[in-house]
Amino acid sequence: MNLILSDRPLSLQLPPDGDSVYVDLSQKKIANCVGCFGCWTKTPGKCVIRDDAVEIYPLIAQSDRVLYVSRVRYGGYDTPMKTMLERAIPVQQAFIRLLDGETHHVQRAVRPKTATILAYGVSDTEEQALFERLVERNAHNMNFQSWNAVFCSEEGLEASVQEEVWKWQMC
Amino acid sequence: MADVLILNASPRAPKSNSKRYAQLFAEQCSLPSETCNVTRNNHLELCEKLNACSQVLLVFPLYADAIPVTLLNFFKTLEQHPPKQKPTVSVLINCGFLEPHQNDVAVDMVKLFCKQNHYPFGSVLQLASGEAILDTPFRWIARRAIGKLARTVAKGKHCTIRAAMPIPKSWFIRASTQYWTQYGQRNHVSPEEMRTMSIEGRELE
Repeated sequence: MNLILSDRPLSLQLPPDGDSVYVDLSQKKIANCVGCFGCWTKTPGKCVIRDDAVEIYPLIAQSDRVLYVSRVRYGGYDTPMKTMLERAIPVQQAFIRLLDGETHHVQRAVRPKTATILAYGVSDTEEQALFERLVERNAHNMNFQSWNAVFCSEEGLEASVQEEVWKWQMC
Repeated sequence: MADVLILNASPRAPKSNSKRYAQLFAEQCSLPSETCNVTRNNHLELCEKLNACSQVLLVFPLYADAIPVTLLNFFKTLEQHPPKQKPTVSVLINCGFLEPHQNDVAVDMVKLFCKQNHYPFGSVLQLASGEAILDTPFRWIARRAIGKLARTVAKGKHCTIRAAMPIPKSWFIRASTQYWTQYGQRNHVSPEEMRTMSIEGRELE
């Protein structure tokens, strides 16, 4: 499965194979994670906040390819994407394992995935480099087998997303 | 008026480990301090408080490899409502992993905010193994590191401190497994249930 998660509405032509899902986070009701650890220690694998996020993190887990579209703020994801990624922790267990020599949470049934992050609104090369370091950290905790951060202007965003989606059909 | 404004930006501020770290900082800091939680509704009030302090200490946990949304959203408001005199910003970050360097990106995000908005940047304490360290025999390590941060902030000096439990990773994994197992038991959830691979009750293919 392919998942496109965007922080703004996009007019896209999805591949005709029916294997791609597009989620516009700006149209979803997603509260902030409250750090209660309920999804690890009370109702494992389920968030206690029953809003739209509970439909989205299973999609993240199931996907072999993800395309995240987000504005960048202070070298990280802006609020809509960051809120969703924080709410996705039910896909992990509380328990810790060693991965590439570092301690990380054990994943539940999360498919290894190829991730492309389409980032817009970056102010300069310093912010771009910091964002790339963030995605590299995400790779350990979000089961990215490979990742690519693509930077584009806000004006060219839709065309850039469509271009990435076309690439899926070629491979 | 407090010289140091301590902002607890944990998403669960009233019950957070950040609250305990902030308290230890306040106890060991020679300057007058005031501690406030960052909430959804008090951003403007906090922006106003920044006018009356020379130093700000941000205390928060690592969330999804970065600063928590709680802090991100506060930064966005602060950008729109900056104080007349910009205080020096320092950071006390904690993560539940054993390696302090897992906090590097989040610290650099705060530094970038400061650079973009012309705030002087002060000192950093990166505390690892933070979920449990205060309830272990290694609590003195956290206390000592926070004391060092407090002295540095009070003197207006700059430093970066990293602290973690001085144990092999295999021990840390065993200890954290025990910690989380006991956490689950308090909720009558067994370790086997906590280890479920299903997400939202579905066994994903």
